[in-house]
Amino acid sequence: MSLATYIIKRTIQIAITLFVVITILFFLFRVMPGDPTAFLLDPKMSPEAKEIIRKQFGLDKPLYVQYVLYVRNVLKGDFGTSFYYGVPVFERIKELLPNTLLLWVPAILLSYFIGINVGRRIAWKRGSKEEYIMIVLGLFFLGMPIFWFGMIMIWLFYHELGIFPAGGMMTPELWLDPSTPLWKKAADIVYHLLLPIITLSIGGFAGSMLLMRNSMLDTLREDYITTARAKGLKESVIRDKHAARNAMLPIVTAMSISLAFSAGGGVLTETIFSWPGLGREIVQAVLNYDYPLAQAAFFYISVIVLFANLVADVLYAYLDPRIKY
Amino acid sequence: MRLLYVAILSSLILFTLSPTQEPSYGMNSVLLKVGMQDEPKTLNPFKASDVWTWNVIGYFYESLYAYKPLTFEVIPWVADGYPEFSDDYKEAIVHIKRGIKWEDGTELTAHDVVFTAKIMMEFKIPRYWSSWEFVESVEALDNYTVKFKLKECRVTFMEGTLMSIIVQKKKWEKIVDEAKRSEDPFNYLTEYKNEKPISAGPFVFGEWKRGSYIFIKRNPNYYFSGYKFNYTFQTLEEMREFLSSRPGLEQYADFEEKKITLTIGPFVDGILYKIYRTTDAAILALDKGDIDYIWWPIQPGYVKLLKENENVSMISTPENGIRYLAFNLRKDPFRIKEFRQAMAYLIDKHFIRDRILQGLGEYLCTVVPPGNKAWYNPNVKCYGDEGQGMSRAERVRKAVELLKKAGFSWEVEPRIEGDRIIPGKGLIMPNGEKVPEFDILTPPADYDPLRFETSRRIQEWWREVGVPVTAQPTSFATITQRVFKEWNFDVYVLGWRLSLLPDYLRDFFHSSQIIKDGYNPMGYYNPELDKLADEFVACGPREEKVKIAYRLQEIIAEDLPYIPLYSQSNIEAFRTDRFKGWFSQGLGSISASISYLKPVNTTTSEVSEQGGEKGIGYESYIWALISILAISLLIAVGWRRNRR
Repeated sequence: MSLATYIIKRTIQIAITLFVVITILFFLFRVMPGDPTAFLLDPKMSPEAKEIIRKQFGLDKPLYVQYVLYVRNVLKGDFGTSFYYGVPVFERIKELLPNTLLLWVPAILLSYFIGINVGRRIAWKRGSKEEYIMIVLGLFFLGMPIFWFGMIMIWLFYHELGIFPAGGMMTPELWLDPSTPLWKKAADIVYHLLLPIITLSIGGFAGSMLLMRNSMLDTLREDYITTARAKGLKESVIRDKHAARNAMLPIVTAMSISLAFSAGGGVLTETIFSWPGLGREIVQAVLNYDYPLAQAAFFYISVIVLFANLVADVLYAYLDPRIKY
Repeated sequence: MRLLYVAILSSLILFTLSPTQEPSYGMNSVLLKVGMQDEPKTLNPFKASDVWTWNVIGYFYESLYAYKPLTFEVIPWVADGYPEFSDDYKEAIVHIKRGIKWEDGTELTAHDVVFTAKIMMEFKIPRYWSSWEFVESVEALDNYTVKFKLKECRVTFMEGTLMSIIVQKKKWEKIVDEAKRSEDPFNYLTEYKNEKPISAGPFVFGEWKRGSYIFIKRNPNYYFSGYKFNYTFQTLEEMREFLSSRPGLEQYADFEEKKITLTIGPFVDGILYKIYRTTDAAILALDKGDIDYIWWPIQPGYVKLLKENENVSMISTPENGIRYLAFNLRKDPFRIKEFRQAMAYLIDKHFIRDRILQGLGEYLCTVVPPGNKAWYNPNVKCYGDEGQGMSRAERVRKAVELLKKAGFSWEVEPRIEGDRIIPGKGLIMPNGEKVPEFDILTPPADYDPLRFETSRRIQEWWREVGVPVTAQPTSFATITQRVFKEWNFDVYVLGWRLSLLPDYLRDFFHSSQIIKDGYNPMGYYNPELDKLADEFVACGPREEKVKIAYRLQEIIAEDLPYIPLYSQSNIEAFRTDRFKGWFSQGLGSISASISYLKPVNTTTSEVSEQGGEKGIGYESYIWALISILAISLLIAVGWRRNRR
């Protein structure tokens, strides 16, 4: 099977999975107790006024009609109008998704970059003080609740040291000033980005570091490492070229799976740092019974995770030449 | 790979930058910085329903009549004088002040009023509909006179209909026309984004960067700028008493003249709303001086930290709201009045106020909170909580007496030995059946610890007389579903935020509200109350209304479809180093003082120096750049090592 056929086959699988996902999402939200219009209702409202709102949301129709309409619209790429914001869902997601990627992509890459490199190093220096310290630190960060850590970071770097802002994405005073040049605004965003990225990466690097260390220790016992030594290769070449590359295979698998789980950390980080991203919006949407927005947000996250899995499978072929599709 | 990463990152930054509107304000302005937990969800006043939205757009729209600050009397605002009613109260003529301008310089006239009224009526805007459904027609007699024709006159005509917002006809005419031609006019109108609202209020729209901040600026042509509210007193004692329930107000008091004067500003160049998703972050920002005010109540746990900062002050004000317990009157034993009264005796509201609320609130005997002085009846029956309140033993004795009188009996009767109560068992109803086990549906501790703890206490108190009850923590959504939609409940504990005009005395207890989704899920019916409540909501002199409201409260306290429990006090925190003049009205939020605040330093340059967010100096950028360089360097080095 060629790579192209493989990708096509996987894409069809992904499409089926996504269909299952949207169906589950639809019914999952409908069985939730409560009324999506409840947040709009107040004692002053007459039953007639309430009915107007329900009708506006399409909630007056029977469930199966709602489902058919929903699937048909999703296939057309239309997730409907957010109950809460009253704007098309896509518009809201378009606003938030870049912010989320801006935070999550660097944070995940950074956490894996640190994790893989540190893991490789401490496996190589097995039994050293460095390994010991890093394992203790790793276990600490792995078990630590990220919302607590985020608050500590804000308290320390914002409140006590005054180096970083408390959160948000920009300094309003700076953006309101018409004389602020574009590069300064860009720098402002990066400046607001640093603390959340550091928090999210520190919250995430421990897992990959420990995994990389274990995987590396296994690899170091392999015969070809002994062979490489016998050939008189430099230690760094053996470590990086021969051992680390093979040890990375499980990490790639773990990375694609853990993307789904890092979403949890991302949601919390966005909330603590008031980062206007998709993750925080999901929580809000679920709390507000904003079905269309929540469904769409979950759908896009599913797409990202499934796509990441596909990428991981293809990466395998690059990392391990023995794998052929 | 590395290049790709850098390319993605920079393009994302550019992407976020691109949809910005033109920035509109310099840094050398006196801005009031306010922390909010969420941003507005729309700028369309016909769609807006949440507080975060109204906290912003509420400054853009004026109304014909308004509540006078502090006393909450109805006063003419855009209107010139009180309405002239016909004898049968079916017609009202309202005159309008001349010279009130929209921000674009055009005058606010009767045509704007009529136009807005037509939107309310034709589109049945949900938020306002109950105030407009009884209006038959509205017409402009000339530029400054509006005539209202009513199907019937209701008390909400003054405090609802005539307090509705007014929008500009010039701006909305086209949108309304398009909406009417569209397939779904209501949707079209409410989904209109209104990106450039036109204001006639103290502030005009400035700029909104979604997710980050929203900025409104002072309206230099605001008609009511400089308008004074005066309050004069006969004696100093009277004045002191007035001030005592309104912390902060003494800044406006002139003790020699025995007078309080509030002068409308705004005296700030604008309001900058910053979004903080957690209270923790907002508290730190306030402590550090990045914001001047947190526009939502803070938990008592933060008080200690903020007290250490001499520039931060806090005011606690009772909210205009109630927490209550209600029965399903369709079921036994709840349909028996003496049972409900006995249960009320067992609830120790003093304990709730002192121990559960830690003094931050008031216990309630009637559904109108005491802060709403104009309508509050202080003399209703309070079931053991009058004065110092009864002891436990006295309460149990009273409850047992009432239950016995109604024909209840026990398998094992509760006994009182000195101060000790030996609980009863197996309460039997007058019809000979045992009282079945039942639940109090209560919001869970993570949603509202106070209501949860109150319900748990009530469970213990009721069990003392052998009532087989369990406080059942249930999600808010499930409670509203079971109570208002299904009527599938025994007893529940919930709360309401209330309006100043207590027309809710009718909404909550009138038999016409015994419909699915209505406000009387208890199934409470009392013909006398129905009749009085209907009289209350019809137009008439205010003194008469007050009398009826008093009587309604007495009936409710006697029948107890609701047992009113308490109203909480909200603690609000603000800084005093940049603006002075924060005060409480004795009810509701201190945000009402924003229009009267004055900068402590009038020279703008000084203020703006403080205004710059700390750590956003040049060093910070160097910091940021160095960090990015360092990270990139790390990546580069790591990558090269891998390559070798």
